[in-house]
Amino acid sequence: MRFMVIVKASADTEAGVMPSTEMLTAMGKFNEEMASAGVIQAGEGLHPTSKGARIKFAGGDPVVTDGPFAVTNDLVAGFWLIEVASKDEAIAWMKRAPFDGGAEIEIRQVFSAEDFGEALTPELREQEDRLRRQSASL
Amino acid sequence: MRFMMLMIPAGYETAAPGTVPDDVERFAAMMEYNKALLEAGVLITCDGLHPPSMGARVSFPSGGPVVTDGPFAEAKEVLGGYWMIDVASREAAIEWASKCPASADEVIEIRQVQEINDFPADVQALTDGYDVMQTTAQRLG
Repeated sequence: MRFMVIVKASADTEAGVMPSTEMLTAMGKFNEEMASAGVIQAGEGLHPTSKGARIKFAGGDPVVTDGPFAVTNDLVAGFWLIEVASKDEAIAWMKRAPFDGGAEIEIRQVFSAEDFGEALTPELREQEDRLRRQSASL
Repeated sequence: MRFMMLMIPAGYETAAPGTVPDDVERFAAMMEYNKALLEAGVLITCDGLHPPSMGARVSFPSGGPVVTDGPFAEAKEVLGGYWMIDVASREAAIEWASKCPASADEVIEIRQVQEINDFPADVQALTDGYDVMQTTAQRLG
């Protein structure tokens, strides 16, 4: 099963504050552990929303708004993609992440083709399979 | 330049476990969009996410990690999925996002992905010892 682990933004991440050397070192070790266990598929940080934009689809032309956006509990600072046997295993791994203080992560299961049900017609399923094969594999 | 296009569907924060897309036409339109991204050579990867009611959160107060199962009552916006694309500029990313067959209650947030080179030299030096970061960057880049 694949999971996206969303690392929530904070005032610090939005301000571009670099984590401490200790934190970066600990995080590097944690990433290596996940890699050795064959769990990690990807791990990325995102630049603050001040470099970002939002597009609203109001029914007419899409409306673009430049960041920054309010630091709520819903902004994303980074993420991992992991592959594990169960949600419990995902949680067990993530409890070991060397976060401190007010950090929060959210674990979300990724849709696999089997999960989509009837909306994924045989034709679309074939297209989806082709997409998976042809896009860069993580 | 790599960008994430984060799909934020209004109302997904209260979607029940097991919610799946049920609009075949819309689903097919989204698949066509994914195909267009792929054929243009800009798609790195994309995924849909099961709703937060099937997820969990982990926070890290001083006493040790605390796990909370979804749903999360106070969430106002949640991710429904994402694309990672590789394009020449922020404007190109915005242009691609604007072509998404999204519905009126959806918002796409564009975020530039941090590359190793974006970090100060001393931070880059820290990551030199860690194969996984180089390999991941190579695989994705």
